[in-house]
Amino acid sequence: MNVITIDDLVKRRGSKEILAGISFQARPGRVTGFLGPNGAGKSSTLRILLGLDRATSGTALIDSVPFVQLRDPLATVGAMLDGSGAHRARTGRAHLRWVARSAGLHRARVDEVLEIVGLTNAASKRVGSYSLGMGRRLGLATALLGDPEILILDEPVNGLDPDGIRWIRTFLRERAASGRTVLLSSHLMGELAETVDDVVVINEGRVVADGTLDEVVGAHRTLEDAFFALTTSGAP
Amino acid sequence: MTAFPAPATRARGPEAAQALAAELSKLVSLPATWLTLGGTLVVNLILAMAFTIAGLHGSTGTKSATDIGLASISYAQAGFVILGVLAACSEYTGGQIRTTLIAMPRRALQLTAKHLTLAIVVLPAAAITAASGVALAAGVLGDTATPVTSGHVAAALSGVTAYLALTTLISASVGALVRQTLAAVVIVLGYFFIAGPLLRDHTPAAKYLPDSAGFAMWFPVADNASAVTPAQGALLLMAWTTGLIVVVMLLYRRRDT
Amino acid sequence: MRALAAEAWKLASLPTVWIATAVGVLVPSVIAGITASATLGAITRGAGTVPGVDTGYQELAFGVVGAIILGVVGISSEYFTESEESGGGRQITTSLTVVPSRLRFLLTKISAIAIAAALLAIIAAATTMGVVRVVLGAHALTLGADDVPRLVGVVCYWVYTALLAFGITVLTRHGVIPLAVLIANTSVVTVTYLLTKITPLANYLPDMAGVRMFIRKLADNTVEISPLTGGLVMTAWVAVLLVIAAIAFTRRDA
Repeated sequence: MNVITIDDLVKRRGSKEILAGISFQARPGRVTGFLGPNGAGKSSTLRILLGLDRATSGTALIDSVPFVQLRDPLATVGAMLDGSGAHRARTGRAHLRWVARSAGLHRARVDEVLEIVGLTNAASKRVGSYSLGMGRRLGLATALLGDPEILILDEPVNGLDPDGIRWIRTFLRERAASGRTVLLSSHLMGELAETVDDVVVINEGRVVADGTLDEVVGAHRTLEDAFFALTTSGAP
Repeated sequence: MTAFPAPATRARGPEAAQALAAELSKLVSLPATWLTLGGTLVVNLILAMAFTIAGLHGSTGTKSATDIGLASISYAQAGFVILGVLAACSEYTGGQIRTTLIAMPRRALQLTAKHLTLAIVVLPAAAITAASGVALAAGVLGDTATPVTSGHVAAALSGVTAYLALTTLISASVGALVRQTLAAVVIVLGYFFIAGPLLRDHTPAAKYLPDSAGFAMWFPVADNASAVTPAQGALLLMAWTTGLIVVVMLLYRRRDT
Repeated sequence: MRALAAEAWKLASLPTVWIATAVGVLVPSVIAGITASATLGAITRGAGTVPGVDTGYQELAFGVVGAIILGVVGISSEYFTESEESGGGRQITTSLTVVPSRLRFLLTKISAIAIAAALLAIIAAATTMGVVRVVLGAHALTLGADDVPRLVGVVCYWVYTALLAFGITVLTRHGVIPLAVLIANTSVVTVTYLLTKITPLANYLPDMAGVRMFIRKLADNTVEISPLTGGLVMTAWVAVLLVIAAIAFTRRDA
């Protein structure tokens, strides 16, 4: 249960091929890192997985069901893409409230997630006045609302201060330890090496490495070295 | 889509109710909603006052408090256009649309809930705006006003209310189509204020277009056998609105966001 | 000069500016085409009609909506983004880092918008008058020395209206309200026109005064204002508004 399965995903925009057949899995109880340079197709993959974009061909399934057919999306998958995902004129709390209502969640849950991400004091301020890091925390709070079995996070450490980065690392490890699935994308190797169990590296729309952290690092000194070796030559 | 294991879909009832609750929560927690509605009410009252004074001078050609009090609506409708466009386009600020579609992935249901919510909020607001203008005109004109039956007033007010609500929904659809506040505002206002009136003067078929058909719902039209009756106008405008929402829905379901 | 070129480039790279251009050229020329062919129909039927003295000019008064859009988006684009990416990428911050003096930034912006609006007005006037000429053929009134000040008046009116739209948008920092108010007031029966029914003073509102620069016969209007006076009144309105906008802009946080 709670497996993310991406199978031969292809996405073309006009004549440009953004994804050229991506396949991998993210399993429960593990943190899977989805790595690649900017423009490699990480966000496109996650957007298709979340039903925001349509694939040209291939499937992206959550427990063998496309995201848009999930019975209770918020309680199954929590997702954070770039930015806060909130309108600047609303307060952080008002944003979380409407999302909570869409899943019939109790409003007490809003205060809980605000507490978890440390935004309680800023909850009544407008999102437009938030710093980059606060916006990210709000995005994370939104992802956590339904206490989901699966977390999908796009560049979660972007914009976080060192405290925030350490906090999110611990937090994600705990989620995985409790048997849940975590899939996160990043182009920051250093942060990732200490958080992930499995690694999928993509470059120019193709998977160039897929395995446990040790397997992917292989003979290289660090994940970063492995990453550059994999992505700069263009082929594994 | 090929055979996936039977998706366990949530019962339609609660899901639809939750989508409605979420959309309502979104609309009322947006300060722009209240600023637009409040601003429209005030501007309408000021214009209604101006029309009433002109009526006292005898330059409106009518002494009916209903007609004078509602004359300002043809300008105040701009506020409802803005509300509709903002409700739709606010999704595209700060990437909120992604949050929306992740929380409510069934897009047709979400968009329906959004339009329904807008109608729920706009109907009372439109009724209050229209009624306050008429009340103001009636109050100021006093005994000098031409007496009208309460049936006539009620018919005019319900016509205006329905007209403004449908106009708001049309604006929201255009907003969802264009996804940019300013461009959508230019298109809808340009149509209602410039293209529509000019077409009306030059082409007879223009009476079936949304703006003229909508006007027929409440604006006294010259007695003319070929004129659109209020009921026909209402049906035409409803057909335009539904048609537009269906087009938007079809595009919205397929579109990458 | 370099700052002006940068501002001109910024304008040209906004899709809405091209919409404004299309609107500004198409609206008056299409309407002029329709009305001129109606007039031609009446002439050939022998109704004894002649093209009015305001043929073409009347339509250019509606086309000013293009200048309005230009003035609004020229500045609102600095404040407001609806990009797919993380919100709040406000260009104004970048702009003010590039041109640190607020007043100079604003003046450059004003110059760029004025030049763009003037160009738009010239193209629109040429197209509209061309359409009238083509449709009416021999029945068209010949453009004479009289028309030179009137056409200059059209250009002035468009430039001033763009600057009014710009000034209001600087104050509101969001384009929707100025756009709505100004478009609603470009309608066939404008609010300001209705106000003249209540008080003759309304004839001195910017648009009512400004159209006198090129419109000779205002329907149902008894107050006579010469083109020059009309122009001066509108100039005064624009100047006052821009000064207020400049004060607000230089004093507040970006």
